[in-house]
Amino acid sequence: MRLFAKVSILNFAAYRFDMIVRMLVSIMHLAADLIGVWTIFSNTKALAGWKWQHLCVVVGVFRIVAGGIRMSIVPNMRRVLEDIMDGTLDFVLLKPVNAQYLVSIREFVVWRIVDVLLGAIIAAYGCIQLNGYMPLGAVALFVFMLLAGFIIVYCLWLMLATLCFWFVRIQNIEMVFWNVFEAARFPIVVYPNWVQWTFTFLIPLAFIITFPAAAFTGGMNMIRPFHIAMAWIMAVAMFILSGWFWRIGLRRYSGASA
Amino acid sequence: MRQLARSFTAFLKTGIGVMLQYRGEIVLWSVWGLVNPLVLYAVFKAGAQSNPDQQIAGLSIGEVAAYFFTIMIIGHLSAAWDTHEMGWYVRTGRMSPLLLRPIMPIWKSLADNLSYKVCTLVFVGPMWIFFALLIRPTFDTAAWQVALGLVATLLAIVLSYTFNYAVALIAFWATKLDAVGEIYFGLVMFLGGRFAPLPAMPGKIRWIAEALPFQYMAYFPTWIFMGKVHTRSEVFLGLAAQLAWIAVSILVLRLMWAAAVKRYTAVSG
Repeated sequence: MRLFAKVSILNFAAYRFDMIVRMLVSIMHLAADLIGVWTIFSNTKALAGWKWQHLCVVVGVFRIVAGGIRMSIVPNMRRVLEDIMDGTLDFVLLKPVNAQYLVSIREFVVWRIVDVLLGAIIAAYGCIQLNGYMPLGAVALFVFMLLAGFIIVYCLWLMLATLCFWFVRIQNIEMVFWNVFEAARFPIVVYPNWVQWTFTFLIPLAFIITFPAAAFTGGMNMIRPFHIAMAWIMAVAMFILSGWFWRIGLRRYSGASA
Repeated sequence: MRQLARSFTAFLKTGIGVMLQYRGEIVLWSVWGLVNPLVLYAVFKAGAQSNPDQQIAGLSIGEVAAYFFTIMIIGHLSAAWDTHEMGWYVRTGRMSPLLLRPIMPIWKSLADNLSYKVCTLVFVGPMWIFFALLIRPTFDTAAWQVALGLVATLLAIVLSYTFNYAVALIAFWATKLDAVGEIYFGLVMFLGGRFAPLPAMPGKIRWIAEALPFQYMAYFPTWIFMGKVHTRSEVFLGLAAQLAWIAVSILVLRLMWAAAVKRYTAVSG
């Protein structure tokens, strides 16, 4: 994995103007998110109990997760879709490493870490604004919940990419994820109960953004042990489910020859 | 002129044909336009519920629903994406064969734009009806407001397309700036009332929005349909502003196009 990361950095330093432009775009996205929060809280004091400091953290967590996705998940999934379409997945399958592992770590877009850092800064800002300081317990809990959330994100992507074994031409499947992920920009408490239920049990968006954000701002006040357990059970369950689905898809793969 | 009309009809026919081939994709593209207003409706509804008078920016919850429901429809109808594509066309040289044609590429692009909207209607139409039943918007609109609202919507669609195309032409100079599309999109969101009704925007942003055409691309017709533009003179003033901005857009477009083509042929030979 380190080798892949090193190559990515070397490739990248060669294009410094691009880098500056991309960083500006990242900052622009963050600014847009924050203008959104500013606008909302110019008109109200809370969203279902979540105050502007909480929303700062949500914005930060969204940036972190989106950055992380674009850093490590999206490039790999895009390459898998290409490989399936072109039949070049054969080269992966011939290697002595587990196929799912290899296709998941091949690509790494280092510069996206800017999004992760910007998100972390804003999240920290929100937390400090609320509590006056950053409780270490909350940080630890936050990282723990974020990890569970990220595993769930990876599994969702893997399942979407696996669909390519059946519907070979779905290059745009990525859009499905981002469109639905839009709803995770805000804590799920703003939605009616049936939507909250959907985002917890059917499409587990709640564990990706809302739960980690709550952990960061409220620590053990907002997140009960029950929530922690739920998040990790969902993460493990999804990991098993997506891995199984991937193996089924792999069996369907006919390769470039045959 | 008749030549153009015939070519445009042909572009429309092939455009629709292509869209039908890509029917899966165009459905996916239209999903964002459905999800985003719903998410914002939920957010602003929650905001209203936290206020003692159950209102937000002077709108009741039913009116918040009406706002985002209407702007969902008008936003879809006035969608324009040349700012996202022009850079790619210029950079990859795909612009060259288009420039060889005796007809400006804008007509093909316009035909594709309209084809997309016609074809997606089959999918988004029922979704709109479903969402109306779901979020129950409330309207307090007079018949004359509906009629003038339709006029405003038509002008909004034209303005949205022409202004977007004019801005997209920047790609001929700034070939590495794919950000043009993103920046434009952000401006439309905040200054065009897509994120929040303009009265809800913070003062400084409202002030900037007043001077720009984005408010006329979806916000103005929406506001009329909600019955919030109370006098006929206000409506006509707004319609005049739309026409003025359309004229400005077309003028800028023509000037920039001439310069753009000159530059393109100079650079790519």
